[in-house]
Amino acid sequence: MKKVLKGKVTGREQVTPEVFELRFSSELAEIIPGQFLSILCPPKTLRRPFGVAGFENGILRVLIRVKGEGTKYLASLKEGDEIDFLAPLGNNFSLENKKSLLVGAGIGTAPLLYLNCELKKRGIQTLLISGFKSEGEIVQGCDSVKVGGSILDEVQHYINEFKPEKIYSCGPEIVLKTLSQTGMDQNIDVEVAMEKHMACGIGVCRGCVIDVMRNGVKTKASVCVNGPVFKGSEVVW
Amino acid sequence: MVDLSCKLGRFYLQNPVMGASGTYGYNNEYGEFLDVSKLGAIVTKGITLEPREGNEGQRLFETASGIINRIGLENVGIDAFLKTKLPLIQKRNINYILNIAGSSIEDYTSLALVCNDNKIPAIEVNVSCPNVHKGCLEFGTEPQALFELICSIRRAYEGFLIVKLTPNVTEIEPLVQAVESAGADCISAINTLKGLGVDLSFDGVNFHKTFVQGGLSGKCIKPVALSLVNKIRAFTHLPIIGLGGIATMWDMLEFFAVGADALQVGTENFTHPSICASLVSDLEKFMQENNFETLDKLKEALRK
Repeated sequence: MKKVLKGKVTGREQVTPEVFELRFSSELAEIIPGQFLSILCPPKTLRRPFGVAGFENGILRVLIRVKGEGTKYLASLKEGDEIDFLAPLGNNFSLENKKSLLVGAGIGTAPLLYLNCELKKRGIQTLLISGFKSEGEIVQGCDSVKVGGSILDEVQHYINEFKPEKIYSCGPEIVLKTLSQTGMDQNIDVEVAMEKHMACGIGVCRGCVIDVMRNGVKTKASVCVNGPVFKGSEVVW
Repeated sequence: MVDLSCKLGRFYLQNPVMGASGTYGYNNEYGEFLDVSKLGAIVTKGITLEPREGNEGQRLFETASGIINRIGLENVGIDAFLKTKLPLIQKRNINYILNIAGSSIEDYTSLALVCNDNKIPAIEVNVSCPNVHKGCLEFGTEPQALFELICSIRRAYEGFLIVKLTPNVTEIEPLVQAVESAGADCISAINTLKGLGVDLSFDGVNFHKTFVQGGLSGKCIKPVALSLVNKIRAFTHLPIIGLGGIATMWDMLEFFAVGADALQVGTENFTHPSICASLVSDLEKFMQENNFETLDKLKEALRK
């Protein structure tokens, strides 16, 4: 059940010059990889959605790139400060018992870190690869990273070597789109976590819709409740 | 115990707090966060005769203290509303107002007839839609077109008829006059302000830009809303539902002070999904602590 929750910041760590990890407590019993939360960032009107990079004993980990006023507010939080968030939101990755290739790019790597961890716990063989613009932007926890260029240039190599039965991805739309096509061409299931400008986070405002094919019909799906995870093959890019 | 109830003409509300159209879904969408049946009412998403897919492209843009939306009236259409959304409203005992929209007098009138046949107790007419027959002028900005529209709706619909006015006009009074003369029961003000968000970035070589032209809402529009409600109050005795940037109990008191009889809360629901319930309890507490037994007494004190 979705709830407005209050937590306390338990830790903050600079991950790269622009990205920091915020850890905070929650009353959540469970949040499944792919699900997200939406954090109040005064004085901004709208909450900011974040994927979950890790969750253990009620402590949530999110990776935040400082971009504007809202994320600056989050960057100013110190241990013990209160944090107001809405969670758990959205659907989740399917966590199928299939050899899985996880493809991230930049800050989009965050939810894949948690997914990777949960898949491994279930004894599923995984490989997490991710692309970053520069050395300084690398997020720790990947099995292989590509610096500069596009992670897409490496994907075919890993498909050939690792032979995944399933691909999960999160990152810029071009990465998700290309991977979805690759998956369809090579008969590999692809799940992508989408990102859109969002207002309510609970499916009311219809601000974050994308086009998807459902039962052969093009329809508009809310990223916040019907997603953020979609089958690559159902998204109309 | 204080009495929070209020009557807008013949339309009864158990308290003056309503969820505004476009921010409150169709029925019980906020049910996980509050008991929707405890609100004054909810105003449904704008409903059209036929289902609408809404706009393509970026639909939201955040501004300082507000948001711009261009959802484009995405909705399930009146038939699906009656069949799939209304039953839950009734089951949950939610007081509601159906918001209707169209692009011709015929659209609106047909909708009003359907509402009448289905005994919908109250409708709110969104007149900020382009009138395609009149070259896409908004009904809500042309007093004569608005008068004709509301007359036609009035003939078709016997229930409580609210007209939601747009602030995008030079003078509000001629529109109030048109609405009143046409036989509307109530005015709600204001709808969103026209605004443009420019999403701009630079990659070192080229600028990338997206224009988000839509309706501005949120805290930033409250002074405009207060100013217009104040003007409308000076001009008419029709009940007024005030809205535009309400986020706190004191905001509500400000709207009462300028003449609003009841209130709608819009954008703030996106930030605080249980805000409407908090506002009801904050108001109740304030009235209790300060010995205002009824909402009328509170309004009276605010308008002295």
